[in-house]
Amino acid sequence: MIARRTLRRIIAGREAGTTLGLLVLCIALWIATPFFATAANLSNVAEQSAIVGVIAIGMTFVILTGGIDLSVGSLVALAGVVIGGALQRGWPVSGAVGAGLLAGVAAGAVNGLMITRGRLPPFIATLGMMSVARGGALMLSDGRPISGFPDPLRVIATGNLLGVPAPVVLLLALYFVAYLVLTRTVVGRYIYAIGGNEEATVLAGVDVRFHKTVVYAISGLSAAVCAVLLVARLDSAQPIAGIGYELDAIAAVVIGGTSLLGGSGSVIGTLIGALIMSVLRNGLNLLGVSSYLQQVAIGAVIIVAVLIDMALRRRVQRSIR
Amino acid sequence: MPTIRRVVPALCVALLAAACNRGGDASAKPTVALVVKTLNNQFFIDMEAGAKAAADSLGLELVVQAPEREIDVERQMQIVENLIQRKVKVLLLVPNGSKEIVPAVLKANAAGIPVVAVDTRIDAATLAAAGATVASFIGSDNEDGGRMAGAFLVEKLGGNALVAVLEGVPGHETADARLRGFRTALASAPGMKIVASQPANMERDQAFNVTQNILQSNPGITALFACNDVMALGALAAIAAAKRTGSITVVGFDAQDDARKAIAQHRMGATIAQNPREMGRMAVITASRLIRGERVPAEQPVAISLVR
Repeated sequence: MIARRTLRRIIAGREAGTTLGLLVLCIALWIATPFFATAANLSNVAEQSAIVGVIAIGMTFVILTGGIDLSVGSLVALAGVVIGGALQRGWPVSGAVGAGLLAGVAAGAVNGLMITRGRLPPFIATLGMMSVARGGALMLSDGRPISGFPDPLRVIATGNLLGVPAPVVLLLALYFVAYLVLTRTVVGRYIYAIGGNEEATVLAGVDVRFHKTVVYAISGLSAAVCAVLLVARLDSAQPIAGIGYELDAIAAVVIGGTSLLGGSGSVIGTLIGALIMSVLRNGLNLLGVSSYLQQVAIGAVIIVAVLIDMALRRRVQRSIR
Repeated sequence: MPTIRRVVPALCVALLAAACNRGGDASAKPTVALVVKTLNNQFFIDMEAGAKAAADSLGLELVVQAPEREIDVERQMQIVENLIQRKVKVLLLVPNGSKEIVPAVLKANAAGIPVVAVDTRIDAATLAAAGATVASFIGSDNEDGGRMAGAFLVEKLGGNALVAVLEGVPGHETADARLRGFRTALASAPGMKIVASQPANMERDQAFNVTQNILQSNPGITALFACNDVMALGALAAIAAAKRTGSITVVGFDAQDDARKAIAQHRMGATIAQNPREMGRMAVITASRLIRGERVPAEQPVAISLVR
């Protein structure tokens, strides 16, 4: 039921441009290299998109309210180091992962409080947290990576469900939950409302401060989930992990058609945006394109994707009028 | 909507052109991949040049890839995974994380692709624990190089100096080994005191800032050791900005062209020559031997020397 409606919305709705982009990209790579459209490679691409894909969920929530969260890359490192440190001290895997997730939520909530109670612009509050969390991660770990973890943790990266890699299962499950929260719950409606017109939402009697704080806590949580994936994948918790992830996450959200001004967009678009970025990186690797040219290509695709999306949307709006 | 009418066909044409231009994959030459730490360090560009020359003469197709940042282990792992899908015959790898890259090595092993570690070792204990194997290691003894750098400073300053150190990425094997060697050399000279030792992550701009800060807190230093030339050059710039050129002996590592120039102009004390070109050449030769099914030595040392 939901699946069919989602499918119809993707075809007809605001994700049309990005979905088309992803399809064109995949077809071009399928023609260009025999190594792209293999089951093993596609499974790799999905797995590789999980890292940024997970952070991009929280980022979508934040950007929908008209905010921004620059601290997520550092929170990945902080949560990762908390998990690694706890495991090193003999904590069970569930306890260590719980502590990591808690660290992410707490730091995210602090972001939210600085923005709502302290009235700091989100850019400034999270920029500060970016540095604080990075420093905290370095302090907690003495600047050294922590490595060598028990198998139950590694399963998050190496396991699979019916042949689908565990990180991909987790990614899809999280996107499904996020989709439900945004489209089927009151909190979801409020998030769009805050981004659309914050003052009107306040006047309508919504506790905007609370909901915005929750949104930043969700962003911290998704960064922490990413940390779990990353620690499991590398079998190592690194205080310098996640540098630049915030920009990848913002790019995924924007490619996915969510407006940086807030109020419009969707997590489905973000998922497609994250997929576009990893398909592109994967394709460029397979084609043996020079590392320098790859950066140019990724930047160009971000710009072209948003251009097409904006153009399509303008046309849709015109046809509605 | 004129914009969309222009953008979409343009994109299609561009993609089609890219799709038609698939010559590289269709060629019959066996493909060898060289994955380095980053391509914004002259050291790896030299390694690439050495590898390319060898690949051309041996009739091999060489693919060189690297993450954008030297500290990005995860992106390097993605590159390795993607190259495994491309079915390269041999993987020549300069790991960004000696332990962290092991899961990727395991995947290459599972796909039947031999892995050769170049320049930086892959952690033996982690490899053993994961059941992964490396066909060969080609590189210099970084600890030995660090000792050479330390011995040079001890001799040059008569065993008496306040010393600053620019460390590499914390916990990364190459820079750690150089540091170990350097500290060992200084331990034999009690007059040499390390008063500041700070990481600058192998990057020039960070080295500039860290050195500036060290010069504020420890104006009395007369010697500085940087774990690579990129940082040494950053430190030289900071020292010049503080108008102290000549009063501090800077020793780097890698013997890049810019560092050699600085030494010739007496702005820099010394550097350790590692010969990345030779590493690249030997790596590709090793790859071709592996493709032919020959045995290769587990350790292939590349000579190291002091440039002053």
